[in-house]
Amino acid sequence: MNACASSFHKAATEYIDSLSNSKGEWLTEQRRAATQRFTALGFPDAGHEAWRYTSVEGLLQQNFKITKNTQVFPEHEVIRQFLREPVAARMVFVDGIFHPDLSDTAGQTGLRVGSLGTAMATGDSSLLGGVGSLSGLGDHGFAALNMATLQDGVVIKVPTGMTIQQPIELLHIATKGLSGQALRTRHSVVLEADASANLVERYLSLDSESNYFNNLVCEISLEDGASLIHQRAQEESRKSYHLCDIHLDIQGNAHYQGINAALGGAWSRTTVHARLGGEGANIELDGFYLAGEGQLTDFHLDVDHSVANCESRENFKGILYGAGKAVFDGLIRVREQAQKSQAHLYNANLMLSRRAEIDTKPQLVILADDVKCSHGTTVGQIDDQALFYLRSRGLDKDQAKRLLSLGFASEIIDSFQCEYLREHLREEIVERMSFKI
Amino acid sequence: MLSIKNLKASVDGKAILNGIDLEVNAGEVHAIMGPNGSGKSTLAHILSGRDGYTVNDGEVHYLGQNLLDLETEARAHRGIFLAMQYPVELPGVNNMTFLRESMNAIRKARGEAEIDAVSFMKQVRHRAKQVKLDEKLLKRSVNTGFSGGEKKRNEILQMMMLEPQLAILDETDSGLDIDALRTVADGVNLLRSPDRALIVVTHYQRLLDYIEPDFVHVLASGRVIRSGGKALALELEEKGYEWLQEGAVA
Ligand SMILES: Nc1ncnc2c1ncn2[C@@H]1O[C@H](COP(=O)(O)OP(=O)(O)OP(=O)(O)O)[C@@H](O)[C@H]1O
Ligand SMILES: [Mg+2]
Repeated sequence: MNACASSFHKAATEYIDSLSNSKGEWLTEQRRAATQRFTALGFPDAGHEAWRYTSVEGLLQQNFKITKNTQVFPEHEVIRQFLREPVAARMVFVDGIFHPDLSDTAGQTGLRVGSLGTAMATGDSSLLGGVGSLSGLGDHGFAALNMATLQDGVVIKVPTGMTIQQPIELLHIATKGLSGQALRTRHSVVLEADASANLVERYLSLDSESNYFNNLVCEISLEDGASLIHQRAQEESRKSYHLCDIHLDIQGNAHYQGINAALGGAWSRTTVHARLGGEGANIELDGFYLAGEGQLTDFHLDVDHSVANCESRENFKGILYGAGKAVFDGLIRVREQAQKSQAHLYNANLMLSRRAEIDTKPQLVILADDVKCSHGTTVGQIDDQALFYLRSRGLDKDQAKRLLSLGFASEIIDSFQCEYLREHLREEIVERMSFKI
Repeated sequence: MLSIKNLKASVDGKAILNGIDLEVNAGEVHAIMGPNGSGKSTLAHILSGRDGYTVNDGEVHYLGQNLLDLETEARAHRGIFLAMQYPVELPGVNNMTFLRESMNAIRKARGEAEIDAVSFMKQVRHRAKQVKLDEKLLKRSVNTGFSGGEKKRNEILQMMMLEPQLAILDETDSGLDIDALRTVADGVNLLRSPDRALIVVTHYQRLLDYIEPDFVHVLASGRVIRSGGKALALELEEKGYEWLQEGAVA
């Protein structure tokens, strides 16, 4: 173990020791096992295929600390970020810690929405059961560290047959004081049979310069016939680090629709592991990423058709400008028994600068013979004719590029269901790009 | 208003315009006709500032300025508008947003205040009705999936909203049905005024029944080989271009 890993190991062990005396169910056994796992795995490097283009060196050099901290922050700055529409429940996390005063968990009768921290403190085993059920102890060092030192997050259970129409809002705010620290957030969401819900999950920094590390794991189980719309937006500071592993288990006739936007971060990586585990399971993933000067953004998708008659569709679009860098890796696996699978994967990139870089890799591994699969990748520039058309109508080059870029992004941004979020993301894209195209 | 003298231009070393002379004054309508490939669109593009053409000789003055020195958008700010032969599709760019941003960019460049949302909406509805463009198309992406005729109407709508000093219509009539032709011509005529000028590129005399030109020019092989009044268009309709080209050689 190198010096960096051993200091994380030490910090994790101390953290677990500090928890073990408190009342409640702190998952200490799992945590200790995860610490061992971390020791065995270490941090991923370029030798791991999935990390080849996404170096973690810069992240490790930051030396982010594991601490338990509470910050003073102006509440109105958090409140002003709320979705501008009625919600079924709102969970607000500031610097990784649940804030009940700013939250609203009343919800519908039968719907269970709470914080992982509270569930551990009260030893609510019915909610804690989902933790680690899909992720295991972690398949890379960061995930194992998350399990070892997880702090807080949401635990949601939507009971059989219940429909939650309004969004459940998860808002994660980083204050200025968070710089230098590593957050370990863990979400566990279970939709029982035929339940449906709509999650809106956002990550924001109050200060555009703050420098911290969000290390997340999210586990979502959709039982037979369940349906989840999951809208995610990462809009953190350009100096932050964001790592999120999403594990999905989608059972028969269940439907998952994920809409992602990754705009911020010096370094941001999202991995979606989806297992289509029952016939008729269906997953749709849309994503938009934006990376400029000094930014790396990475999406890794791994969709596993493990039974017959499932469908998957992925459409990811990215805009790269300045010396921005992006990695897209879309893997679809169709197992031998997964006949009549339908899988379609598409990735398009708009390069606004010669210095920008994209590594895109669609991978179809198909072992069944009766399937409908397709994939496509494009890497292109702003169209000269379109640019001339806009300029001939009086727009200058920057305005024209802005309109065309938003046009490119709109296919994905428009699939966000909250109108406020769509508007907000458009503004955010424009603002972030106006640094220099 | 516009003065073109001995304009010669090429693309990738291939000569396309071989010495064009044209004088357009405020209040006038000029029709440009001529066989396919004679350089009509090229001339229109060079006037509106499209990249990719090399001007080898000649001068173009517009409202007392050297037009060729101006950026494309600066020409638009000074009142030049080109209705394109092939309007470009802009997927994801909302037609209404595009129109409003264009209007405001031009207003801003002229030191005028931005148009407020209510006046804009009123105006765009009114104009869309005049060119019989379905309001639904205003909410869609610019030209994306529009029919040929809808694209042309959309060009005319933009022209009416932007109220140019010098409008160049490049085959706006091609591909239009008879009713659409009428509508487009009506729109253009609404814009005619003593301080505006129009250059209408067309293959068909029919359009000129509706938009009556003061002058008709025939372009062939990158040169104006004949200029005349509107009777010239009728003559062309009857005899084609060949007699002129033969004449030019002789
Ligand atoms: N970008 C280019 N590269 C090469 N050749 C070009 C280019 N643009 C125009 N040309 C050539 O220049 C000539 C004039 O083209 P232009 O489009 O101006 O003709 P036009 O008079 O508008 O014809 P039409 O009536 O068919 O619209 C043609 O031979 C065309 O192929
Ligand atoms: Mg032409």
